[in-house]
Amino acid sequence: MLRYLLSRLGQSAILLLIVSCVGFCVLSLAPGGPLSQFALSPGMTQEQLTRIADQMGLNRPLPVQYMDWLSHLLRGDWGVSYRDGQPVLAIIQRHLFATLLLMGTSTAIAIVLGSAIGIASAVRRGGIFDHTMTVMSMVALSIPTFWFGLVAIYVFSLNLGWLPSGGMYAVGNGSLADYLHHLIMPALVLALVDVAIWSRYMRTSTLNVVHQDFVRTARAKGLTRRRVLMKHILGNSLVPMITLAGLQLPVILGGALVTETVFTWPGMGRLFLDSLGYSDYPVVMGLLMASALLVVVGSLAADLIVALIDPRIRLN
Amino acid sequence: MTEHHDRPLNPARRRTLMLLGAAGGAMMAPSVLGRSAAFAQGAPSGQIILGFSQEPTVFNPLMPHIEVDDGIYYAIFDPLFDFDPDGQLFPILVTEVPTVANGGISEDGLTWRIRLKEGVTWHDGTPFTAADVKFTFELPVNPDFRSFRTTGYALMRDITVVSPTELTWTMTKPFAPLAGVLASTFIVPAHPFEGQDPNAAPFNNAPIGTGPFKWGERMAGDHILLTANANYHGEGPHLERLIIRYIPDLNVMYTQFKAGDIDVIGLQYITPDHLTEAEGLPGVATEVAGTGSFESFALNMQRPQFKDLAVRQALYAALDKTSIIDALYYGVPTPTETYMPQQSAFFNPDLPPHAFSIEKANQLLDDAGWARGAGGIREKDGVRLAFTNSTTAGNHLREQAQQFIQQTFAEIGVEMTISNLPPAVMWGDYWMNSEFDTVVVGMNQLSGADPDTTNYHRSSASPALGGAGQNTLAYQNPRVDELLDAGAASFDPDQRREIYRELQAVIRDDLPFLPMFQYAVVKGWKEEVTGPAPNVNNRIDSWNVRDWRRG
Amino acid sequence: MTLSATVPARRRRTAPRALRRFFGHKLALLGLGIVLFLTIACVVGPYLLPYDELYIDLRARFAPPGTGAHILGTDPLGRDIAARLFQAGQVSMAIGFAVMIIATALGSVIGVLSGYYGGYVAAILMRIVDAFLSFPSVFLLLALAAFLKPGPAMIALIIAATSWMEVARIVEAEVKSLKNRDFVQAAQMLGLSGRWIMFRELLPNAIGPIIVAATLIVARAILLEAYISFLGYGIQPPVPSWGNMLNGAQQYLGQAPWLAIVPGIAITLAVTGFNFIGDGLRDAFDSRSGGR
Repeated sequence: MLRYLLSRLGQSAILLLIVSCVGFCVLSLAPGGPLSQFALSPGMTQEQLTRIADQMGLNRPLPVQYMDWLSHLLRGDWGVSYRDGQPVLAIIQRHLFATLLLMGTSTAIAIVLGSAIGIASAVRRGGIFDHTMTVMSMVALSIPTFWFGLVAIYVFSLNLGWLPSGGMYAVGNGSLADYLHHLIMPALVLALVDVAIWSRYMRTSTLNVVHQDFVRTARAKGLTRRRVLMKHILGNSLVPMITLAGLQLPVILGGALVTETVFTWPGMGRLFLDSLGYSDYPVVMGLLMASALLVVVGSLAADLIVALIDPRIRLN
Repeated sequence: MTEHHDRPLNPARRRTLMLLGAAGGAMMAPSVLGRSAAFAQGAPSGQIILGFSQEPTVFNPLMPHIEVDDGIYYAIFDPLFDFDPDGQLFPILVTEVPTVANGGISEDGLTWRIRLKEGVTWHDGTPFTAADVKFTFELPVNPDFRSFRTTGYALMRDITVVSPTELTWTMTKPFAPLAGVLASTFIVPAHPFEGQDPNAAPFNNAPIGTGPFKWGERMAGDHILLTANANYHGEGPHLERLIIRYIPDLNVMYTQFKAGDIDVIGLQYITPDHLTEAEGLPGVATEVAGTGSFESFALNMQRPQFKDLAVRQALYAALDKTSIIDALYYGVPTPTETYMPQQSAFFNPDLPPHAFSIEKANQLLDDAGWARGAGGIREKDGVRLAFTNSTTAGNHLREQAQQFIQQTFAEIGVEMTISNLPPAVMWGDYWMNSEFDTVVVGMNQLSGADPDTTNYHRSSASPALGGAGQNTLAYQNPRVDELLDAGAASFDPDQRREIYRELQAVIRDDLPFLPMFQYAVVKGWKEEVTGPAPNVNNRIDSWNVRDWRRG
Repeated sequence: MTLSATVPARRRRTAPRALRRFFGHKLALLGLGIVLFLTIACVVGPYLLPYDELYIDLRARFAPPGTGAHILGTDPLGRDIAARLFQAGQVSMAIGFAVMIIATALGSVIGVLSGYYGGYVAAILMRIVDAFLSFPSVFLLLALAAFLKPGPAMIALIIAATSWMEVARIVEAEVKSLKNRDFVQAAQMLGLSGRWIMFRELLPNAIGPIIVAATLIVARAILLEAYISFLGYGIQPPVPSWGNMLNGAQQYLGQAPWLAIVPGIAITLAVTGFNFIGDGLRDAFDSRSGGR
């Protein structure tokens, strides 16, 4: 167990190193740069821009800049934003809350809805419900999330006026009800794809379990259908779902980015786009690292949880 | 950089809008006058929420920043003096604006003296003295400081603190635009920087000023809270709190304004398509106000295609400004022939007016010997009349204008290829080192209300020609250089007016850029708020936030 | 070449059966129908319409669908949306196919190399695959697109750079399991080069899963193009793509909702079509699946 953990950690570290290296190269080799936003300011000269770039260390050789950034990162210093000089870590933490709120809510919706649909489909495999859900989930997987968001805004905000078209809360109103009011539409839109994915996996997962001996034994022992379902199938088919949750993280994160844009949700996705627009490299790099870290830790945690709750799986 | 977002509107109604603009201006005049008129100085009360669609992030005014950051500076800090809407300077931290007439500036323009108001204190209680002003002038040229600009400061020598309220310095050459530079120089205190790296001092995230409002708190990505400075040295503030909210989406910002969640809609303002609706909102005042920015179709004068004046004239004739302004921009901006705002005292009203004519454009090109070649594209001496046009990717309205221009240019045998770039790429080396063919760009080339544009039009200011500055069009005209030098050295307002009017005429004839329109924005505030007033000479609305009041 | 004859024989036996299964798959047929319909519409459509996709008519801006000959309405510049939709379809689908070819080729090479050689080669290559998988691809795409000059070819390359990992994993697994089979060992004994074995023996035998993955890549590429063009970092105007037709549509949502709705339906249709086909192919190639 310990050896496995160590080797997984080692692999994760190498992975993060590759991510950081690729990310840094892409950003640094790109034309333009963080100073271009000042190029149109009255009185700005190239001389002045060069001087600022020198002071910010932007003219040093790339490997030097990378090692400098990396060594600071390893000491827990994520650098400061080029835009406002705030520590990158603090900036990310602030936006992380909004993203986690959105992702968490939509994942919760997806798990509940997806599991229900998946199990119902598996139990009556080949029925009308199963077929309908199969087709619907594939269509759901094909809809661009942002477009679905636009349509939702058109219907629920512009036409019906039920829900706000964007933002996380109204100005000067920070009540729970207000948060929920703003949260409901983006969370449901983001959940669409996840419901489809979860229901598909849950269906397969349930089907695998249904045919195993212990279920047949349980049924033979005269347990009701519902009890068998709840106790055995749900418990056993949830295990692979935890792994899936880990693997789904990058997808959900990517989806959150686009959804945040449509609904002007103040999370990491929008921060990423803003920072990209200003070439705020420390923040962009920080976000790339944070999301990679989230993904790595997520899948590691998923594997460990599975190992802990399911003794049949041996880690090696 | 001016990024104007677009919104669609109903049929264009420029005339009406312009009338409204004029009426709005007249309507606002009393509140501007109100500053000098006697207003009883009551205790500050209430709050105003001001919305911006960009986030202020740089709080040290001497560090590189963008337009929206100025919105905070006017509340926290004071300049020595500032421009009023008519382009006249009024004193803030000084007892009198220095001029040659009052002896503040010597006859030769080389020696300056300013006298500061007595009894002014910083927000932390420390007295404000001439030493702070000296520090403010010296920091920008400190080689270790990440400075926004050095224009003007670099010419100052022997800055001497004569007394806590008196400062003198000399200039290495007469430089009239210094007044404009100083009007946008916010004075920062020296004491918070003692023993600090000026680039990383705590001050930079918790500024201390002499201004009407004190730094409260900042929720990054959301809002900045400022509170009244009870000891403000001037009149005001009249508000207990000023909250500046960052709302990154113009639609959402407008919706919140409509819902009454924000009191004043600031930078990027009401999108033109909402103007009609906004005017009908109960309890809301709107106004179309001209800005200091102008939109132009800029040419890279180094390219062989554009060396021929006839080509530039033909392109200008084929530019259907009216359709662009009326249809795409809903008639909000005003057509212009120059870079100078029409509200400026230096504006030249006698420039030859533009007339859209495909026939004339074709005639000009035929006469100059540009004959149609392969694919109907004109060419002459092996040079094809083909070029790329770039702007910031994602600026929808400008992209629409671009595609419209592309179609009209095709009618005169000119092939324009659109090649838009992300902002960080667009305004990097591509722009600064003149790597483009043509660009559609919105710019404010003045520093405050001063008409000096040496940095944009003098041949020595072109990085592509080995100079330093923002003459990225690589425009060269000896007469322009002469006029710019003469204008910068003159302290006589009448003489300067003549010089800058001639300058506009020369540039209009040369057409290094095809002037399109002067930007106007649709401002809005609740009727119960008084104070907001347009000022083409300042970059942002909060220039007079000390006067704002509620009820 | 006696040996190579045995390999195609394996394929020949599976191919017709797979084809039969595929054509027995209703959804797959529906998908095929949708894709064919869209392709034909996009190719033939422009010839049937009286408007050019680039022709600007400011007097006709924001015409709702059904105004005169503008069956799908016009955009903010008065251009015909139907004409633009068809032209955009050509661009978007071309990008989808280009991505498929690049990503499948790249993924196959990396997968077959790491599957065949194993050991350090596999360890390194598969870590790279993991690294790419742990980026949310939209983040990586935007970072790349923000700094490169966006054109259809560049966008296709960028999307391909974030789409090859699935294929690499599938091929690697497939090759690893095939590598110890008789026919490979026979080939090795015959002294055939590693390259011959990898690309002439192993890869063709993994063709089923590769085709399935390739189909899904087309679907994903069309979606990703839409994402980045919607955010303004993709295909730049005046070239229309389904994604950039949606860029800016949010602003006109109240006034001209068709600007957003029409291209979105086209994207959904196309992606659904490819997904249906991919699903059908998966069932067709997977001998274990007992149908639904």
